[in-house]
Amino acid sequence: MSQKQISTCYVRFDQNLCAGYGSCLRVCPTKAIRVKNKKAVRIVEQCIGCGECIRSCREGAVSAATEGPKVLEKDHVAIALVSPVLYAQFPGVMPKDVLLGLRHMGFEHTIDMSYFLEIFQFATEEFISRNRKTQTAPWPLISPVCPVVVRLIAFRFPNLLPNVLPVLRPVALMAREVKSRLIPEYSKNGKEVVLYYINPCPTKKEPACLPDGKQDVSSEIALGINDIYPELIKHVDQIKAADGIPFYQTRFEYETCATGNASMWGMSGGEIADMDIDKSLAVSGMEETINYLEKIELGLFQDIEYIEFRTCREGCLGGVLNAIDKYLAKGAVQKMVKRFGLGRRLHRENIMRMYEKGEFRSEKKPAKLTSLFGANKKALSIDSLQEIEKVMELIKGTDCMACGAPDCRTFAEDVVRGDAALKQCLFVDAQRRRKG
Amino acid sequence: MSKFKKSFHIKGRDFIRAGEASINVQNLLKSMDFDSRLIRRVAICGYESEMNVVMHGGDGSLSLEVDTDKMILEISDDGPGIEDIELAMKAGYSTANDDHREMGFGAGMGLPNMKKNSDQIHIQSNTDRGTVVRMIFFLPEGGKTD
Repeated sequence: MSQKQISTCYVRFDQNLCAGYGSCLRVCPTKAIRVKNKKAVRIVEQCIGCGECIRSCREGAVSAATEGPKVLEKDHVAIALVSPVLYAQFPGVMPKDVLLGLRHMGFEHTIDMSYFLEIFQFATEEFISRNRKTQTAPWPLISPVCPVVVRLIAFRFPNLLPNVLPVLRPVALMAREVKSRLIPEYSKNGKEVVLYYINPCPTKKEPACLPDGKQDVSSEIALGINDIYPELIKHVDQIKAADGIPFYQTRFEYETCATGNASMWGMSGGEIADMDIDKSLAVSGMEETINYLEKIELGLFQDIEYIEFRTCREGCLGGVLNAIDKYLAKGAVQKMVKRFGLGRRLHRENIMRMYEKGEFRSEKKPAKLTSLFGANKKALSIDSLQEIEKVMELIKGTDCMACGAPDCRTFAEDVVRGDAALKQCLFVDAQRRRKG
Repeated sequence: MSKFKKSFHIKGRDFIRAGEASINVQNLLKSMDFDSRLIRRVAICGYESEMNVVMHGGDGSLSLEVDTDKMILEISDDGPGIEDIELAMKAGYSTANDDHREMGFGAGMGLPNMKKNSDQIHIQSNTDRGTVVRMIFFLPEGGKTD
Protein backbone atom coordinates (compact mmCIF):
# COMPACT_ATOMS: atom_id res chain seq x y z
CA MET A 1 0.00 0.00 0.00
CA SER A 2 1.31 3.36 -0.93
CA GLN A 3 2.10 6.22 1.39
CA LYS A 4 0.35 8.83 -0.67
CA GLN A 5 -3.24 8.17 0.11
CA ILE A 6 -6.18 10.31 0.75
CA SER A 7 -9.48 8.89 1.83
CA THR A 8 -13.01 9.65 2.80
CA CYS A 9 -15.16 7.40 4.96
CA TYR A 10 -16.00 5.29 1.93
CA VAL A 11 -13.26 5.53 -0.68
CA ARG A 12 -9.47 5.71 -0.92
CA PHE A 13 -7.47 7.57 -3.55
CA ASP A 14 -3.99 6.34 -4.36
CA GLN A 15 -2.02 9.30 -5.62
CA ASN A 16 0.76 7.13 -7.05
CA LEU A 17 -1.71 5.56 -9.45
CA CYS A 18 -3.62 8.74 -10.23
CA ALA A 19 -2.93 10.04 -13.74
CA GLY A 20 -4.92 13.21 -13.31
CA TYR A 21 -7.54 12.53 -15.97
CA GLY A 22 -10.10 13.90 -13.61
CA SER A 23 -12.88 11.55 -14.61
CA CYS A 24 -13.77 11.20 -10.94
CA LEU A 25 -14.32 14.95 -10.66
CA ARG A 26 -17.09 14.98 -13.17
CA VAL A 27 -19.07 12.07 -11.78
CA CYS A 28 -18.98 13.09 -8.14
CA PRO A 29 -22.56 14.08 -7.22
CA THR A 30 -21.46 16.28 -4.34
CA LYS A 31 -18.59 17.83 -6.33
CA ALA A 32 -16.28 16.83 -3.53
CA ILE A 33 -13.07 16.19 -5.46
CA ARG A 34 -10.42 18.61 -6.77
CA VAL A 35 -7.25 17.83 -8.70
CA LYS A 36 -3.98 19.60 -8.17
CA ASN A 37 -0.72 19.14 -10.08
CA LYS A 38 -2.33 16.38 -12.12
CA LYS A 39 -2.91 14.35 -8.98
CA ALA A 40 -6.18 13.87 -7.27
CA VAL A 41 -7.01 14.99 -4.68
CA ARG A 42 -8.31 17.36 -2.23
CA ILE A 43 -11.63 16.49 -0.66
CA VAL A 44 -13.64 19.63 -0.19
CA GLU A 45 -17.15 18.36 0.39
CA GLN A 46 -18.96 15.51 2.02
CA CYS A 47 -18.46 12.08 0.43
CA ILE A 48 -21.72 10.15 0.40
CA GLY A 49 -20.15 6.86 -0.63
CA CYS A 50 -21.81 6.35 -4.01
CA GLY A 51 -18.67 4.81 -5.51
CA GLU A 52 -19.02 6.62 -8.86
CA CYS A 53 -15.36 7.69 -8.63
CA ILE A 54 -14.31 4.05 -8.31
CA ARG A 55 -16.34 3.19 -11.37
CA SER A 56 -14.97 6.05 -13.43
CA CYS A 57 -11.26 5.67 -12.70
CA ARG A 58 -9.39 3.98 -15.51
CA GLU A 59 -6.17 3.73 -13.54
CA GLY A 60 -7.66 1.90 -10.59
CA ALA A 61 -6.47 4.67 -8.30
CA VAL A 62 -9.74 4.80 -6.41
CA SER A 63 -10.85 1.90 -4.27
CA ALA A 64 -13.44 1.20 -1.63
CA ALA A 65 -12.45 1.75 1.96
CA THR A 66 -13.48 -1.80 2.81
CA GLU A 67 -11.19 -4.04 4.79
CA GLY A 68 -9.95 -5.94 1.77
CA PRO A 69 -9.54 -9.68 1.36
CA LYS A 70 -8.40 -10.41 4.83
CA VAL A 71 -8.00 -14.06 5.67
CA LEU A 72 -10.60 -15.08 8.19
CA GLU A 73 -8.86 -15.44 11.50
CA LYS A 74 -9.66 -18.49 13.54
CA ASP A 75 -9.74 -16.74 16.87
CA HIS A 76 -13.20 -15.35 16.45
CA VAL A 77 -16.66 -16.41 15.31
CA ALA A 78 -17.27 -14.98 11.86
CA ILE A 79 -20.83 -14.20 10.82
CA ALA A 80 -21.55 -13.24 7.22
CA LEU A 81 -24.42 -10.85 6.56
CA VAL A 82 -25.13 -11.53 2.94
CA SER A 83 -26.68 -9.17 0.44
CA PRO A 84 -28.83 -11.13 -2.05
CA VAL A 85 -26.79 -9.51 -4.81
CA LEU A 86 -24.12 -12.09 -4.01
CA TYR A 87 -26.23 -14.95 -5.42
CA ALA A 88 -26.53 -13.18 -8.76
CA GLN A 89 -22.74 -13.38 -9.13
CA PHE A 90 -23.02 -17.13 -9.62
CA PRO A 91 -25.39 -17.77 -12.53
CA GLY A 92 -26.87 -21.25 -12.38
CA VAL A 93 -25.84 -21.85 -8.78
CA MET A 94 -28.45 -22.21 -6.07
CA PRO A 95 -28.28 -19.57 -3.31
CA LYS A 96 -27.95 -22.26 -0.67
CA ASP A 97 -24.77 -23.50 -2.36
CA VAL A 98 -23.33 -20.00 -2.34
CA LEU A 99 -24.07 -19.77 1.37
CA LEU A 100 -22.51 -23.20 1.90
CA GLY A 101 -19.44 -21.94 0.05
CA LEU A 102 -19.20 -19.10 2.52
CA ARG A 103 -19.35 -21.54 5.41
CA HIS A 104 -16.57 -23.55 3.79
CA MET A 105 -14.57 -20.35 3.69
CA GLY A 106 -14.78 -20.19 7.45
CA PHE A 107 -17.92 -18.25 8.27
CA GLU A 108 -19.70 -19.82 11.21
CA HIS A 109 -23.06 -18.41 10.23
CA THR A 110 -24.34 -17.04 6.95
CA ILE A 111 -27.31 -14.76 7.37
CA ASP A 112 -29.48 -14.49 4.29
CA MET A 113 -31.36 -11.24 3.92
CA SER A 114 -34.60 -12.48 2.36
CA TYR A 115 -36.31 -12.90 5.72
CA PHE A 116 -35.65 -9.25 6.57
CA LEU A 117 -36.54 -8.02 3.12
CA GLU A 118 -40.00 -9.52 3.59
CA ILE A 119 -40.39 -7.89 6.99
CA PHE A 120 -39.46 -4.59 5.37
CA GLN A 121 -42.01 -5.10 2.60
CA PHE A 122 -44.83 -5.82 5.05
CA ALA A 123 -43.92 -2.82 7.18
CA THR A 124 -43.70 -0.56 4.14
CA GLU A 125 -47.08 -1.64 2.79
CA GLU A 126 -48.62 -1.05 6.18
CA PHE A 127 -47.10 2.40 6.55
CA ILE A 128 -48.28 3.40 3.10
CA SER A 129 -51.82 2.15 3.58
CA ARG A 130 -52.07 4.04 6.88
CA ASN A 131 -50.53 7.13 5.37
CA ARG A 132 -53.36 7.25 2.85
CA LYS A 133 -55.65 8.12 5.74
CA THR A 134 -53.40 9.96 8.16
CA GLN A 135 -51.17 11.83 5.69
CA THR A 136 -48.38 11.89 8.26
CA ALA A 137 -45.71 11.88 5.57
CA PRO A 138 -45.73 13.72 2.23
CA TRP A 139 -46.14 11.88 -1.07
CA PRO A 140 -44.24 10.50 -2.84
CA LEU A 141 -42.53 8.44 -0.16
CA ILE A 142 -38.93 7.65 -0.99
CA SER A 143 -37.37 4.26 -0.34
CA PRO A 144 -34.79 4.35 2.48
CA VAL A 145 -33.08 1.19 1.20
CA CYS A 146 -30.24 2.74 -0.79
CA PRO A 147 -28.20 4.67 1.78
CA VAL A 148 -26.56 6.78 -0.93
CA VAL A 149 -29.96 8.12 -1.93
CA VAL A 150 -30.71 9.10 1.65
CA ARG A 151 -27.33 10.82 2.00
CA LEU A 152 -27.76 12.51 -1.35
CA ILE A 153 -31.10 13.86 -0.14
CA ALA A 154 -29.48 15.10 3.07
CA PHE A 155 -26.77 16.80 1.04
CA ARG A 156 -28.63 18.28 -1.90
CA PHE A 157 -32.34 17.97 -1.17
CA PRO A 158 -32.82 18.38 2.58
CA ASN A 159 -36.41 19.52 1.91
CA LEU A 160 -37.19 15.98 0.88
CA LEU A 161 -36.02 14.29 4.08
CA PRO A 162 -39.61 14.07 5.37
CA ASN A 163 -40.44 12.04 2.24
CA VAL A 164 -38.00 9.30 3.20
CA LEU A 165 -40.01 6.31 4.42
CA PRO A 166 -39.49 6.04 8.21
CA VAL A 167 -39.07 2.27 8.27
CA LEU A 168 -35.83 0.53 9.27
CA ARG A 169 -33.79 -0.69 6.32
CA PRO A 170 -33.58 -4.47 5.82
CA VAL A 171 -29.87 -4.48 6.62
CA ALA A 172 -30.57 -2.71 9.93
CA LEU A 173 -33.28 -5.25 10.77
CA MET A 174 -30.84 -8.00 9.98
CA ALA A 175 -28.05 -6.55 12.10
CA ARG A 176 -30.43 -6.03 15.00
CA GLU A 177 -31.62 -9.63 14.90
CA VAL A 178 -28.09 -10.99 14.78
CA LYS A 179 -26.95 -8.76 17.62
CA SER A 180 -29.84 -9.65 19.87
CA ARG A 181 -30.06 -13.39 19.16
CA LEU A 182 -26.82 -14.75 17.83
CA ILE A 183 -24.10 -12.73 19.45
CA PRO A 184 -25.25 -13.17 23.08
CA GLU A 185 -24.99 -16.95 22.70
CA TYR A 186 -21.33 -16.66 21.91
CA SER A 187 -20.40 -13.83 24.20
CA LYS A 188 -21.84 -15.90 27.08
CA ASN A 189 -19.00 -18.32 26.47
CA GLY A 190 -16.50 -15.52 26.12
CA LYS A 191 -16.09 -15.86 22.36
CA GLU A 192 -15.48 -12.87 20.19
CA VAL A 193 -17.88 -12.35 17.32
CA VAL A 194 -17.16 -10.41 14.15
CA LEU A 195 -19.88 -9.41 11.69
CA TYR A 196 -18.88 -9.31 8.04
CA TYR A 197 -21.17 -7.32 5.77
CA ILE A 198 -20.79 -8.64 2.24
CA ASN A 199 -21.76 -5.75 0.01
CA PRO A 200 -22.07 -4.77 -3.65
CA CYS A 201 -21.07 -1.17 -2.92
CA PRO A 202 -18.77 0.71 -0.55
CA THR A 203 -21.63 2.19 1.34
CA LYS A 204 -23.94 -0.21 3.09
CA LYS A 205 -22.61 0.31 6.57
CA GLU A 206 -22.28 3.57 8.43
CA PRO A 207 -18.54 3.59 8.89
CA ALA A 208 -16.96 4.16 12.24
CA CYS A 209 -15.19 7.26 11.03
CA LEU A 210 -18.45 9.18 11.05
CA PRO A 211 -19.28 10.94 14.28
CA ASP A 212 -22.19 8.60 14.98
CA GLY A 213 -20.51 5.41 13.80
CA LYS A 214 -21.15 3.36 16.89
CA GLN A 215 -18.54 0.87 17.93
CA ASP A 216 -20.34 -2.17 19.24
CA VAL A 217 -19.09 -4.83 21.58
CA SER A 218 -18.58 -7.04 18.58
CA SER A 219 -16.67 -5.58 15.72
CA GLU A 220 -18.09 -5.10 12.26
CA ILE A 221 -16.23 -5.35 9.00
CA ALA A 222 -17.41 -4.38 5.53
CA LEU A 223 -16.28 -6.56 2.65
CA GLY A 224 -16.88 -5.99 -1.01
CA ILE A 225 -18.32 -8.88 -2.99
CA ASN A 226 -15.22 -8.67 -5.17
CA ASP A 227 -13.04 -9.07 -2.06
CA ILE A 228 -14.33 -12.56 -1.35
CA TYR A 229 -15.30 -13.67 -4.86
CA PRO A 230 -11.98 -15.23 -5.95
CA GLU A 231 -11.92 -17.55 -2.98
CA LEU A 232 -15.65 -18.13 -2.81
CA ILE A 233 -15.90 -19.28 -6.41
CA LYS A 234 -13.36 -22.05 -5.70
CA HIS A 235 -15.55 -23.39 -2.91
CA VAL A 236 -18.71 -23.01 -4.97
CA ASP A 237 -17.14 -24.95 -7.84
CA GLN A 238 -16.16 -27.73 -5.43
CA ILE A 239 -19.70 -27.88 -4.08
CA LYS A 240 -21.11 -28.02 -7.60
CA ALA A 241 -18.73 -30.82 -8.53
CA ALA A 242 -19.49 -32.85 -5.41
CA ASP A 243 -21.74 -35.88 -5.80
CA GLY A 244 -25.20 -35.67 -4.32
CA ILE A 245 -26.60 -32.98 -2.13
CA PRO A 246 -24.18 -32.03 0.60
CA PHE A 247 -25.58 -32.44 4.06
CA TYR A 248 -25.50 -29.44 6.31
CA GLN A 249 -27.47 -28.06 9.14
CA THR A 250 -28.20 -24.52 10.17
CA ARG A 251 -29.72 -23.28 13.39
CA PHE A 252 -31.68 -20.20 12.39
CA GLU A 253 -34.44 -19.87 9.85
CA TYR A 254 -32.71 -16.97 8.17
CA GLU A 255 -29.48 -18.81 7.56
CA THR A 256 -30.55 -20.47 4.33
CA CYS A 257 -33.11 -20.44 1.57
CA ALA A 258 -33.04 -17.25 -0.39
CA THR A 259 -36.33 -16.62 -2.14
CA GLY A 260 -36.97 -15.40 -5.67
CA ASN A 261 -38.41 -12.29 -4.10
CA ALA A 262 -35.07 -11.65 -2.36
CA SER A 263 -32.87 -12.22 -5.38
CA MET A 264 -35.12 -9.83 -7.28
CA TRP A 265 -34.07 -7.06 -4.87
CA GLY A 266 -30.74 -6.66 -6.59
CA MET A 267 -32.49 -5.47 -9.73
CA SER A 268 -33.92 -2.02 -10.21
CA GLY A 269 -37.63 -2.39 -9.47
CA GLY A 270 -37.06 -5.51 -7.39
CA GLU A 271 -37.98 -3.84 -4.13
CA ILE A 272 -41.45 -2.86 -5.32
CA ALA A 273 -42.09 -5.84 -7.62
CA ASP A 274 -43.97 -7.82 -5.00
CA MET A 275 -45.28 -4.92 -2.94
CA ASP A 276 -48.92 -4.09 -2.72
CA ILE A 277 -48.81 -0.38 -3.55
CA ASP A 278 -51.16 1.48 -5.87
CA LYS A 279 -48.72 3.68 -7.68
CA SER A 280 -45.00 3.17 -7.47
CA LEU A 281 -41.92 3.80 -9.58
CA ALA A 282 -38.40 2.47 -9.73
CA VAL A 283 -35.61 4.80 -10.82
CA SER A 284 -31.98 3.80 -11.15
CA GLY A 285 -28.73 5.55 -12.00
CA MET A 286 -27.18 8.62 -10.36
CA GLU A 287 -28.16 11.09 -13.05
CA GLU A 288 -31.74 9.89 -13.24
CA THR A 289 -32.06 9.85 -9.47
CA ILE A 290 -30.91 13.47 -9.21
CA ASN A 291 -33.25 14.38 -12.05
CA TYR A 292 -36.25 12.90 -10.29
CA LEU A 293 -35.35 14.35 -6.89
CA GLU A 294 -35.14 17.79 -8.48
CA LYS A 295 -38.60 17.35 -9.92
CA ILE A 296 -40.06 16.05 -6.68
CA GLU A 297 -38.72 19.21 -5.08
CA LEU A 298 -40.63 21.23 -7.67
CA GLY A 299 -43.80 19.57 -6.42
CA LEU A 300 -44.17 16.90 -9.08
CA PHE A 301 -45.06 13.21 -8.64
CA GLN A 302 -47.35 13.81 -5.68
CA ASP A 303 -49.76 11.31 -7.20
CA ILE A 304 -47.20 8.54 -6.73
CA GLU A 305 -47.02 6.73 -3.41
CA TYR A 306 -43.58 5.18 -3.37
CA ILE A 307 -40.42 5.60 -5.38
CA GLU A 308 -37.57 3.14 -5.27
CA PHE A 309 -34.32 4.95 -6.02
CA ARG A 310 -30.96 3.28 -6.63
CA THR A 311 -28.02 5.45 -7.60
CA CYS A 312 -26.37 2.53 -9.41
CA ARG A 313 -27.71 1.79 -12.84
CA GLU A 314 -29.87 -1.36 -12.93
CA GLY A 315 -29.98 -1.31 -9.12
CA CYS A 316 -27.61 -3.00 -6.67
CA LEU A 317 -26.52 -5.45 -9.37
CA GLY A 318 -24.73 -2.42 -10.81
CA GLY A 319 -22.82 -1.77 -7.58
CA VAL A 320 -19.13 -1.05 -8.07
CA LEU A 321 -17.93 -3.87 -5.86
CA ASN A 322 -19.66 -6.65 -7.75
CA ALA A 323 -17.69 -9.44 -9.34
CA ILE A 324 -19.57 -9.91 -12.61
CA ASP A 325 -21.21 -7.56 -15.09
CA LYS A 326 -24.61 -6.20 -14.13
CA TYR A 327 -26.40 -7.52 -17.20
CA LEU A 328 -25.05 -11.03 -16.68
CA ALA A 329 -26.14 -10.81 -13.07
CA LYS A 330 -29.56 -9.57 -14.14
CA GLY A 331 -29.95 -12.61 -16.36
CA ALA A 332 -29.13 -14.84 -13.40
CA VAL A 333 -31.73 -13.08 -11.26
CA GLN A 334 -34.39 -13.40 -13.93
CA LYS A 335 -33.73 -17.14 -14.11
CA MET A 336 -34.01 -17.39 -10.35
CA VAL A 337 -37.27 -15.47 -10.24
CA LYS A 338 -38.68 -17.69 -12.95
CA ARG A 339 -37.77 -20.72 -10.91
CA PHE A 340 -38.83 -19.62 -7.44
CA GLY A 341 -41.56 -17.07 -8.14
CA LEU A 342 -42.04 -13.97 -6.03
CA GLY A 343 -44.00 -15.38 -3.09
CA ARG A 344 -43.20 -14.56 0.53
CA ARG A 345 -42.62 -17.01 3.36
CA LEU A 346 -43.54 -14.90 6.34
CA HIS A 347 -47.07 -14.30 7.54
CA ARG A 348 -48.45 -10.85 7.57
CA GLU A 349 -50.20 -11.25 10.95
CA ASN A 350 -46.96 -11.98 12.81
CA ILE A 351 -45.23 -9.00 11.29
CA MET A 352 -48.19 -6.73 12.05
CA ARG A 353 -47.97 -7.53 15.76
CA MET A 354 -44.39 -6.31 15.75
CA TYR A 355 -45.38 -3.32 13.62
CA GLU A 356 -47.91 -2.23 16.23
CA LYS A 357 -45.16 -2.24 18.82
CA GLY A 358 -43.19 0.14 16.63
CA GLU A 359 -40.34 -2.28 16.07
CA PHE A 360 -39.66 -1.21 12.52
CA ARG A 361 -39.81 2.51 12.97
CA SER A 362 -36.64 4.21 11.88
CA GLU A 363 -35.27 6.67 14.38
CA LYS A 364 -33.07 8.55 12.00
CA LYS A 365 -33.70 12.21 12.53
CA PRO A 366 -33.55 14.49 9.50
CA ALA A 367 -31.55 17.06 11.46
CA LYS A 368 -28.92 14.49 12.30
CA LEU A 369 -28.63 13.34 8.71
CA THR A 370 -28.17 16.90 7.53
CA SER A 371 -25.49 17.47 10.13
CA LEU A 372 -23.66 14.32 8.97
CA PHE A 373 -24.11 14.62 5.24
CA GLY A 374 -25.42 18.11 4.62
CA ALA A 375 -23.47 20.66 2.63
CA ASN A 376 -21.19 22.52 4.98
CA LYS A 377 -20.52 25.43 2.68
CA LYS A 378 -21.35 28.89 3.82
CA ALA A 379 -24.36 30.45 2.13
CA LEU A 380 -23.60 32.82 -0.74
CA SER A 381 -24.64 36.44 -0.52
CA ILE A 382 -26.15 38.48 -3.34
CA ASP A 383 -22.74 40.10 -3.85
CA SER A 384 -20.91 36.82 -4.13
CA LEU A 385 -23.49 35.55 -6.61
CA GLN A 386 -22.76 38.60 -8.74
CA GLU A 387 -19.03 37.96 -8.45
CA ILE A 388 -19.55 34.37 -9.53
CA GLU A 389 -21.37 35.60 -12.63
CA LYS A 390 -18.47 37.95 -13.37
CA VAL A 391 -15.94 35.16 -13.03
CA MET A 392 -18.10 32.99 -15.28
CA GLU A 393 -17.94 35.65 -17.98
CA LEU A 394 -14.15 35.83 -17.72
CA ILE A 395 -13.52 32.11 -17.90
CA LYS A 396 -15.72 31.46 -20.94
CA GLY A 397 -17.21 28.28 -19.53
CA THR A 398 -16.19 25.20 -21.46
CA ASP A 399 -15.99 22.96 -18.40
CA CYS A 400 -12.51 21.77 -19.45
CA MET A 401 -11.54 20.85 -15.87
CA ALA A 402 -7.92 21.92 -16.43
CA CYS A 403 -8.16 24.04 -13.29
CA GLY A 404 -8.88 20.94 -11.23
CA ALA A 405 -12.52 21.69 -10.51
CA PRO A 406 -15.37 19.60 -11.93
CA ASP A 407 -16.92 22.44 -13.92
CA CYS A 408 -16.65 26.21 -14.50
CA ARG A 409 -19.48 27.10 -12.17
CA THR A 410 -17.88 25.19 -9.29
CA PHE A 411 -14.51 26.78 -10.08
CA ALA A 412 -16.08 30.24 -10.07
CA GLU A 413 -17.63 29.48 -6.72
CA ASP A 414 -14.27 28.24 -5.40
CA VAL A 415 -12.64 31.49 -6.57
CA VAL A 416 -15.24 33.68 -4.90
CA ARG A 417 -15.03 31.64 -1.72
CA GLY A 418 -11.25 32.08 -1.80
CA ASP A 419 -10.49 28.37 -2.29
CA ALA A 420 -8.97 28.76 -5.77
CA ALA A 421 -7.07 31.42 -7.70
CA LEU A 422 -8.48 32.86 -10.90
CA LYS A 423 -5.17 32.27 -12.73
CA GLN A 424 -5.67 28.51 -12.38
CA CYS A 425 -8.05 28.90 -15.31
CA LEU A 426 -6.15 28.32 -18.56
CA PHE A 427 -8.26 30.82 -20.51
CA VAL A 428 -7.74 33.57 -18.00
CA ASP A 429 -4.04 32.80 -17.71
CA ALA A 430 -3.52 32.79 -21.49
CA GLN A 431 -5.34 36.08 -21.85
CA ARG A 432 -3.25 37.64 -19.13
CA ARG A 433 -0.02 36.52 -20.80
CA ARG A 434 -1.09 37.92 -24.15
CA LYS A 435 -1.81 41.26 -22.57
CA GLY A 436 1.10 41.13 -20.16
CA MET B 1 -25.99 45.42 -1.07
CA SER B 2 -27.14 45.39 -4.60
CA LYS B 3 -29.45 43.24 -6.64
CA PHE B 4 -28.67 39.98 -8.33
CA LYS B 5 -30.37 39.16 -11.58
CA LYS B 6 -30.15 36.16 -13.84
CA SER B 7 -32.36 34.90 -16.59
CA PHE B 8 -32.87 31.54 -18.21
CA HIS B 9 -34.18 30.63 -21.63
CA ILE B 10 -37.33 28.52 -21.97
CA LYS B 11 -37.88 26.59 -25.17
CA GLY B 12 -41.49 26.12 -26.18
CA ARG B 13 -42.87 22.61 -26.81
CA ASP B 14 -39.75 21.04 -25.36
CA PHE B 15 -41.32 18.78 -22.78
CA ILE B 16 -38.14 16.83 -22.17
CA ARG B 17 -36.19 19.82 -20.89
CA ALA B 18 -39.17 21.52 -19.33
CA GLY B 19 -38.48 22.44 -15.73
CA GLU B 20 -34.77 23.12 -16.21
CA ALA B 21 -35.06 26.87 -15.70
CA SER B 22 -36.96 26.35 -12.45
CA ILE B 23 -34.43 23.79 -11.27
CA ASN B 24 -31.65 26.30 -11.98
CA VAL B 25 -33.48 28.95 -9.99
CA GLN B 26 -34.00 26.48 -7.19
CA ASN B 27 -30.30 25.55 -7.10
CA LEU B 28 -29.30 29.22 -7.05
CA LEU B 29 -31.59 29.95 -4.14
CA LYS B 30 -30.35 26.86 -2.31
CA SER B 31 -26.77 28.07 -2.54
CA MET B 32 -27.94 31.27 -0.86
CA ASP B 33 -29.53 29.33 1.96
CA PHE B 34 -33.00 30.87 1.95
CA ASP B 35 -35.75 29.36 4.02
CA SER B 36 -36.68 26.05 2.41
CA ARG B 37 -40.41 26.83 2.38
CA LEU B 38 -39.75 30.05 0.50
CA ILE B 39 -37.56 28.24 -2.03
CA ARG B 40 -40.30 25.72 -2.53
CA ARG B 41 -42.88 28.42 -3.17
CA VAL B 42 -40.64 30.17 -5.70
CA ALA B 43 -39.80 26.87 -7.37
CA ILE B 44 -43.46 25.85 -7.69
CA CYS B 45 -44.34 29.23 -9.22
CA GLY B 46 -41.37 28.96 -11.55
CA TYR B 47 -42.32 25.48 -12.64
CA GLU B 48 -46.01 26.27 -13.19
CA SER B 49 -45.22 29.30 -15.28
CA GLU B 50 -42.45 27.52 -17.15
CA MET B 51 -44.89 24.77 -18.07
CA ASN B 52 -47.35 27.37 -19.31
CA VAL B 53 -44.71 28.72 -21.64
CA VAL B 54 -43.72 25.24 -22.81
CA MET B 55 -47.35 24.26 -23.44
CA HIS B 56 -48.81 27.42 -24.89
CA GLY B 57 -46.26 30.12 -25.19
CA GLY B 58 -43.63 29.38 -27.77
CA ASP B 59 -40.22 30.61 -26.65
CA GLY B 60 -39.71 32.63 -23.53
CA SER B 61 -37.51 33.38 -20.58
CA LEU B 62 -37.60 33.12 -16.84
CA SER B 63 -35.69 35.67 -14.82
CA LEU B 64 -34.94 35.83 -11.16
CA GLU B 65 -34.10 39.00 -9.31
CA VAL B 66 -32.93 38.82 -5.73
CA ASP B 67 -32.99 41.98 -3.68
CA THR B 68 -32.47 42.53 0.02
CA ASP B 69 -36.16 42.74 0.77
CA LYS B 70 -37.81 40.79 -2.03
CA MET B 71 -37.45 38.38 -4.88
CA ILE B 72 -39.02 38.84 -8.27
CA LEU B 73 -39.70 36.05 -10.71
CA GLU B 74 -40.58 37.22 -14.18
CA ILE B 75 -41.67 34.95 -16.99
CA SER B 76 -42.24 36.28 -20.46
CA ASP B 77 -43.04 34.63 -23.74
CA ASP B 78 -43.96 35.46 -27.32
CA GLY B 79 -46.92 33.11 -27.36
CA PRO B 80 -50.61 33.58 -28.15
CA GLY B 81 -51.38 35.50 -24.96
CA ILE B 82 -54.21 34.96 -22.50
CA GLU B 83 -57.63 35.98 -23.80
CA ASP B 84 -59.43 36.35 -20.49
CA ILE B 85 -57.09 36.70 -17.54
CA GLU B 86 -59.87 36.64 -14.95
CA LEU B 87 -61.16 33.36 -16.31
CA ALA B 88 -57.65 31.89 -16.49
CA MET B 89 -57.17 32.61 -12.78
CA LYS B 90 -60.10 30.35 -11.92
CA ALA B 91 -59.19 26.93 -10.56
CA GLY B 92 -59.96 24.23 -13.07
CA TYR B 93 -60.16 26.47 -16.11
CA SER B 94 -57.78 25.22 -18.75
CA THR B 95 -57.01 25.73 -22.42
CA ALA B 96 -54.73 22.71 -22.58
CA ASN B 97 -55.33 20.24 -25.39
CA ASP B 98 -55.64 16.46 -25.20
CA ASP B 99 -51.93 15.93 -25.81
CA HIS B 100 -51.09 18.03 -22.76
CA ARG B 101 -53.61 16.14 -20.65
CA GLU B 102 -52.19 12.83 -21.72
CA MET B 103 -48.86 13.94 -20.26
CA GLY B 104 -50.54 14.79 -16.98
CA PHE B 105 -50.82 18.55 -17.45
CA GLY B 106 -53.76 20.81 -18.03
CA ALA B 107 -55.63 20.52 -14.74
CA GLY B 108 -56.30 24.23 -14.81
CA MET B 109 -54.34 24.81 -11.62
CA GLY B 110 -51.34 26.66 -13.03
CA LEU B 111 -52.23 30.30 -12.48
CA PRO B 112 -54.25 29.66 -9.29
CA ASN B 113 -51.24 27.80 -7.89
CA MET B 114 -48.95 30.68 -8.79
CA LYS B 115 -51.29 33.12 -7.10
CA LYS B 116 -51.45 30.97 -4.00
CA ASN B 117 -47.68 30.62 -3.69
CA SER B 118 -46.57 34.17 -4.45
CA ASP B 119 -47.14 37.33 -2.43
CA GLN B 120 -48.09 39.40 -5.47
CA ILE B 121 -48.79 38.44 -9.05
CA HIS B 122 -49.11 40.73 -12.04
CA ILE B 123 -50.09 39.48 -15.45
CA GLN B 124 -49.77 41.46 -18.63
CA SER B 125 -51.06 39.77 -21.68
CA ASN B 126 -51.93 40.73 -25.18
CA THR B 127 -53.24 38.30 -27.73
CA ASP B 128 -50.64 39.33 -30.27
CA ARG B 129 -47.68 40.21 -28.11
CA GLY B 130 -47.39 37.37 -25.64
CA THR B 131 -47.56 37.28 -21.87
CA VAL B 132 -45.50 38.59 -18.99
CA VAL B 133 -46.11 37.19 -15.53
CA ARG B 134 -44.38 38.91 -12.66
CA MET B 135 -44.45 37.38 -9.20
CA ILE B 136 -43.11 38.99 -6.06
CA PHE B 137 -42.02 37.25 -2.90
CA PHE B 138 -41.29 39.42 0.12
CA LEU B 139 -38.40 38.38 2.29
CA PRO B 140 -38.71 38.44 6.05
CA GLU B 141 -37.01 41.24 7.97
CA GLY B 142 -33.23 41.05 7.62
CA GLY B 143 -33.34 39.37 4.25
CA LYS B 144 -32.73 35.76 5.09
CA THR B 145 -34.05 33.37 7.64
CA ASP B 146 -32.72 30.02 8.59
